[in-house]
Formats: sequence, structure tokens, C-alpha cells
Amino acid sequence: MTVVAEQPAAAPGRVRATGAATRRARGPRRHGLARTRPVASLAYVIALALAGFVLNDPLQLIALLAVLFVALGFAGKLRASLPYLRVALYVAGFLAILNPLFSQGGLDVLWQVHLPLLQIRVTIQGIAFGVSTALRLSAVLIAFALYNLVLDPDDQLGIMSRFSFRSGLVVSLATRLVPVLSRDAESIADAQRSRGVELDRGRRRDRAAARIPLLSALLTQSLERAMDIAASMEARGYGRGGRTRWQPERRWRFADGATAAAAGLAVAALIGGLVAGAFHYRFYPLLDDPWAPLADPWWLLALAALATPLCVEARWRR
Amino acid sequence: MAAIATLAHVTYTYPGASKPALDDVSLAIDPAEVILVLGGSGSGKSTLLRAINGLVPHFHGGTFAGRVTVDEFDTRTARPAELAARVGLVFQDPESQAVMTTVEREIAFGLENRGIASPAIARLVEEALISLGLSGLRRAPLSTLSGGELQKVALAAVIATQPHLLLLDEPTSQLDPVSSEELLAAVRRLSEDTGATIVLAEHRVERCLHLATRVLFMEGGAIVVDADPQAFARWALAGHRELLPPVARLFARRLNGGAKAAAEAGRLPLTVKDARGMLDDVAGQLESFASPAPAREGDVVLEARKLAVGYAPGEAVLEHIDLRLRRGERIALMGENGAGKSTLVRHFNGLARPLAGDVRLLGRPLKELSVAQAARDCALLGQNPNDYFIKDTVAEEVDYSLVQMGFAGRERNELCSRTIVDLDLMDLLMRNPRDLSGGERTRVALAAVTCGDPALVILDEPTRGMDPLHKAELAALLRRWAANGRCVLVVTHDVEFAARVAGRVLVVGDGSLLADGPVHEVLNGSLFFSTQINRLLRHSLPGVLTEDEVTWGTSLQ
Repeated sequence: MTVVAEQPAAAPGRVRATGAATRRARGPRRHGLARTRPVASLAYVIALALAGFVLNDPLQLIALLAVLFVALGFAGKLRASLPYLRVALYVAGFLAILNPLFSQGGLDVLWQVHLPLLQIRVTIQGIAFGVSTALRLSAVLIAFALYNLVLDPDDQLGIMSRFSFRSGLVVSLATRLVPVLSRDAESIADAQRSRGVELDRGRRRDRAAARIPLLSALLTQSLERAMDIAASMEARGYGRGGRTRWQPERRWRFADGATAAAAGLAVAALIGGLVAGAFHYRFYPLLDDPWAPLADPWWLLALAALATPLCVEARWRR
Repeated sequence: MAAIATLAHVTYTYPGASKPALDDVSLAIDPAEVILVLGGSGSGKSTLLRAINGLVPHFHGGTFAGRVTVDEFDTRTARPAELAARVGLVFQDPESQAVMTTVEREIAFGLENRGIASPAIARLVEEALISLGLSGLRRAPLSTLSGGELQKVALAAVIATQPHLLLLDEPTSQLDPVSSEELLAAVRRLSEDTGATIVLAEHRVERCLHLATRVLFMEGGAIVVDADPQAFARWALAGHRELLPPVARLFARRLNGGAKAAAEAGRLPLTVKDARGMLDDVAGQLESFASPAPAREGDVVLEARKLAVGYAPGEAVLEHIDLRLRRGERIALMGENGAGKSTLVRHFNGLARPLAGDVRLLGRPLKELSVAQAARDCALLGQNPNDYFIKDTVAEEVDYSLVQMGFAGRERNELCSRTIVDLDLMDLLMRNPRDLSGGERTRVALAAVTCGDPALVILDEPTRGMDPLHKAELAALLRRWAANGRCVLVVTHDVEFAARVAGRVLVVGDGSLLADGPVHEVLNGSLFFSTQINRLLRHSLPGVLTEDEVTWGTSLQ
């Protein structure tokens, strides 16, 4: 027999496994919002998303994006957010480029061209509006990413079950189903490749056509899996009536309270500012001073509130 | 003593099925019994368990006759959800029974459904975590757990509800030997400490027979044998020796008279411990005729040099792999769950690209071939046969593979016929592959990948959930293929199967290839990766792995 590795088989492996086991025991190590109580995290994410909808001034929106990125970073989710950021970049870039070409407003004309059926008139105001819209959309998308990455499906279910357990369960199971479906699809594709089916050759249309027969296998497997889960749920008493709800005991920490309070304050400031007209920034016909809204008291209050959980986290880390 | 559950003349047919899955089954389950249910694929084991907890007929529909009662509940009127407080069922596939995403919430799910108050749930979850050694994983996402850990979570989730009757449907079929031992130890503790009543359906007799106080054997939906383990062993001697654990088969060969002689001789050993006690008197009468390792001299089919495999640079699962696989070899690739076995073999047909090093298939660099091009020379059967089925009949599946591999005309017809005969598919040709039993599905999927007469055949965990008879058939097929010049590589946790099939064993772990040698050297003396016979005879006849390699002294025969 060839002894390929001289060292005792178990020793180093055990060291490695213990490390992995410890990591999993705590769950993925949690920081920032990811370790905050789900209700507080959700409130904070709602406040951030609301800010994305309410704010107009490009500089305010840039400040909001900075808050969002710091929150993602503190939660240890920057890398995980890359797919969301890519989508945000594409969509925002598309809007930022398209708006100046089709928006005819604004007095500061940079460039214009007359075509037989179309007049293109690019203005500073059009560009600023396009950029602002792109920043708003990015802020909302990143807030959505933060929600998805920070709150695991069980937490989401825990919150939703206060209102409707069934709806919450559907959302939770559907959330779990997406990665499972993707894994099943990959597994079926690999099986077909292994029997000689070319799935990766030719133009995109050919590759898509080659994959169509795989859909029936994927659908069948998804249905079988869904049936298994349904059977498991019924065997474990689901649907019996009189269900209770258990939340693993997590002590409210100072950071949880601070996050929830800050989120409440931020929402109040944003709504207050909206009612008071504080966030009305005009792009047309001439741009308002972009720096002026930064000194608005409603904005300062909202920003301070949104930054508070991050300051608490930064202090805790020190 | 009042029975905890009874089945009276239960006959059940699944919707659309022509034959009943349960055929006039009557059974009484007494408290604190541990019942082992044996039987081939499709014999009705799972259906029996589902009838006891009411999923049959409430969830599955179909035609139901007879009566099942659990405590005072009649399952015709009580739904599974109502029975959940009394009957707990652990399913075969740990992944398809999880509802929540973290360990503690998964365990709490059943308790919440029962309407238990929150403080009591916290206590019961804690107890379940401790009893199965899962405390350290309480907040771990289920997606990060191994199959063994997941199955333990499933068991914890059921025992947390403190059912009177625990049903386990092939709970170890997806697990490696270490995880299986751990799970079964937990079941044994549960039985011994709490007196729980357990019904366990399993294929691997050698793992579970020692736990049982009673054994049922099912065939065609009916209970053929209902006996204590010793009486069952004597019955199996008469014509179902494959159902006996290897140590029992070894001692049975000493009794040429079969069941009658066994009855006269007294007990058959059912565990290594039993056999060791009986061996003291007769050890000197055993002789080994284990064959020496065959020389490796066939043409090289696949060569891996300095291979590193993994999913991202700098995060190799296995490194420094140097291998040569030759025609005529039968190789078993073993290692614990997550060691990288499946990942490694995906590099042998190009499904995955190496992080470093290279692989040559019949002398050609694999990186120059697409997976589809490599499929003619290297057949890889994955763990789930269903992944291969996209046609309506078995015949179409085989033909589709041949077309995709580029065969045409007479050659295509010849290969198709040869594959059908080789894998005994003649009776199944017009059937939909998804309607077949587990063993039949494996054969059809195997036909779909091997119909092009490849030089190398790789099977990833082909014996999962397979009964002993089909396992023996598969072993014979693989031996035949190797004898005809193919190289056969089997990824498996099933040590007994590896010992029967393989001539060479590779063991991976700790990020590298730990051992590569003849089966009798690699599997000899291991604590978990060794056979029952080896554990029994490792001191008196070192190197012996199966009972077929041992003979009793002629004076006793």
C-alpha cells in the first residue's frame, strides 16, 4: 500500500474541523446590524429605504449611500452585496445616461442636436436630475440588499408571523427554495453534460434552446421536493391549529435599543421634513444650491439618527 | 401490555398505482419495542411508516382499507398533524424535511405547531440539543451542516416533541460510517434511557440488527416475517442470506444444514461483539484465502498530476493528487462526508476545472475537451439518478444519450442493444423512468451514461438507499465490466460494498490523498472504514475483509 500522507490522518483535519465547527456553532460570525435584534434591524432598514424615497438633493443622497455602505461593511456583508451593487450600477447607470438625452428641461445647455424626428438637448439640469434619480434608486436597492443579507429567512418569518404566519412561512420557504432550485438546475445540467449533451456551445440562443428540455426535470424535482417538505410539515403538526410562536431568547442590548430608537427618530424626521417641504430640491429650470439642504435641521436630525447605530457599533468595536 | 399502535388488515394503494403498496398488513407495536423493518426497494417499508403516522392516506390520497390506531386515535379520522404529538417520523433525506433555516428554530418548529408555551419550548429545544450533542450548533444555518448533522437535527426536532412512537425511515442511507454510527448511537440512547418505542426501516442490517428487539421483513407490501432477531436470522439462513450481517453469514457457513442446523446449534452472532465471544472456541479452525493484490498492468485510462481541486483559488479542497487509473481496475474512493470525493471525480470528466495540475483522459489533456466530448470515454453517474431523466421512456433515454454522444446507424443500434441487455432493461423499455423503483432508476441512469462503451466508469454513491439484493447485482455488474477491460471507480461510504467490489482503495481526507493501495491493506485495521469481518478477525486473520475470504476447517464442515 502506498501511504501517501505520512502524518496521522485525523490530527490536522480535526484541528481544521474544530475551527469550522466553532464558526458554525455561533452561526456565521455576526457584526453590526446582523447581530442586532431582527425587529430593530428591520426598523433601521425601513428608515434607510424611506430616506432613499424621500431625499432629492444629490449630496444628501451621496451621504445616505455612505451610511448604507458603512452599515453593509459593519455587518460584514460588503462582499455578499456585490451582486446587488452590480444590478444597482447597471440600472442607475442606464437612468443617469438616458435621462439627459430625453429630458428637455433646464436652461444651461451643454450640447444639442436636431434630428429629423428628434431634438436632443443635453442640459446640466437634466444630467443632475438623472444622477439624482440614479442615486435614489441605488439607495433603495442597497437598502433592499441590506434587508436580505442581514435578516435571515427565519428572522423575517419571526417578524411576519406576528401578522400572518402562513404568509411569512410562504416567504421563508420561497427564500429557501431559490438557492435549492439553482443547485438542482446545476446538478441536472451536469448530469446532461455527463451523457454527452452540449449545453455550452454555440450562440446564446442555441445554448438556451439546449437547456429547454432540462426544465421538465427541474420542474418535476421541484414538485417532488415541495411534496416532501409539505409531508414533513404535516407530520410535524403543522396545520393543527393553536400554534404558538417562539423567539430564541436574545437579551435586548443597548445597541438594539439604540438602533430601534434611532430608526424611529429617523422616520419621524424624514416624514416631518417631507411635510415641511424641507426635502424639495428643484432641478428645473435652474438647479437649487446643492449645499443648502445639507444645513437643513430636518435633514441633520435624520442623518444623525441614521448614523447613530453605526456610531454605537464603531464604539463597541473599539 | 396494551399496544401503542395497531394495524388491522391494512391494504393501501397509491393513486394511479396498479398494485397495493401495503397488502393486508396486521401488526401490533408494544411499548418500548425497537422494531427493525427490512425489505427490498418498493417492498412497502416507507409506506408502512407513513400509514402509522397518518400521512397514508391523508397526505398521499389513494385507496385505503383496514384500520390503524395509535393510542386511542384512529388514523382514518385523525390527521397526521393531530398525531404528531404521539408519532414522530424522521425521513430518509435530511434536506427535504427541513422547514426553517437555523438549527434551534428547526427543532422548535414542531413544538410551536403543538401550541406549547414559549418558555417550555426553550427548555425542550435545549434538551433536544444536548441529547444529540448539537448545543454547539444551535444557531448554525442548516445550509452549513453536513448530511450527518442535518439528520441529527431532524431527529432532535422529532424527539423534542417527545413522541410515544418514533419512526425512522432509512435515516442513515445518506451518511458516512462515522455519522451513521453517531446517529444510531443516539437512537440506542433514546431507546435505553427513555424506553421510547422505535420503528426503524433500514437496508444495512449490519448497522442496526443489534438495536432491534423485533424484526419485520416485508415483500410486495406484506409482512413476510415477524420475529425476534435470532428467529429472523434462522429464517434468513434458509434463503435470504444477503439479509444477514456478515458475521452471521460467516458462522452460518459453519452450519451446512442451514436453518435447521442453526436452530439445533443455538444462536447465530448478530454483532461483532457476539461473534467475538463465540470465536474464542473456534478461532483456530478458520483459514484465510484472501487473494493477493493484482498487479497494476492495464493501460492507463486516466492520469492526474499534481492535481489541486476546489472552488476558489487558495481554497483547495484536495491538493497534490497524483493518480493513475488503469483498465481492469476496480477502485473505491472513500473518505468522510465533505472530504472532497465528489469534487475530485468531477475533475475526471471535466465537469470541474482544476485549480492546479492537469488530468489526462486516454492520453488527451482533459482541458482540451468539453464534458460532452469526454462523455464517450468517461461515464460519471452522479448521486441522483433523477437528474438524468428528461424523456418519457427508458428506451428514449438510452437512445438520446447515444445520439448526443455522436453515434449513428448500425453502431448506435448495436450499442443500444448491448446496453439494454447488459443492464437488464428489456422489461422496462417502455416505462417512464420516473415511475421505476430506486434500484431500477439507478440502472437506467447508468445505461444513459455508459451506453457509449466508455473506458472509465465512475459511480458516485450508487448504493445509497439500495437493498442488499440490488447491491449484490451492482457489485457483480461492476466486476464484469472491469473484467471486460473497463476501469471502474466507485465513490462510496459503504465499506462492505467497497470490500466486495474493489481491488484498490483510495482514501481522501485532510485536504489530500491519505492512502492508495490494495483493498486488503487499506481497509485492514481501520476503526470505522473497515468491514465487520475485519473487525472480528483483524488479530487472528489480518487482512481478511469478507466472509467469502474465510473458510472453516474441514473437520467441521
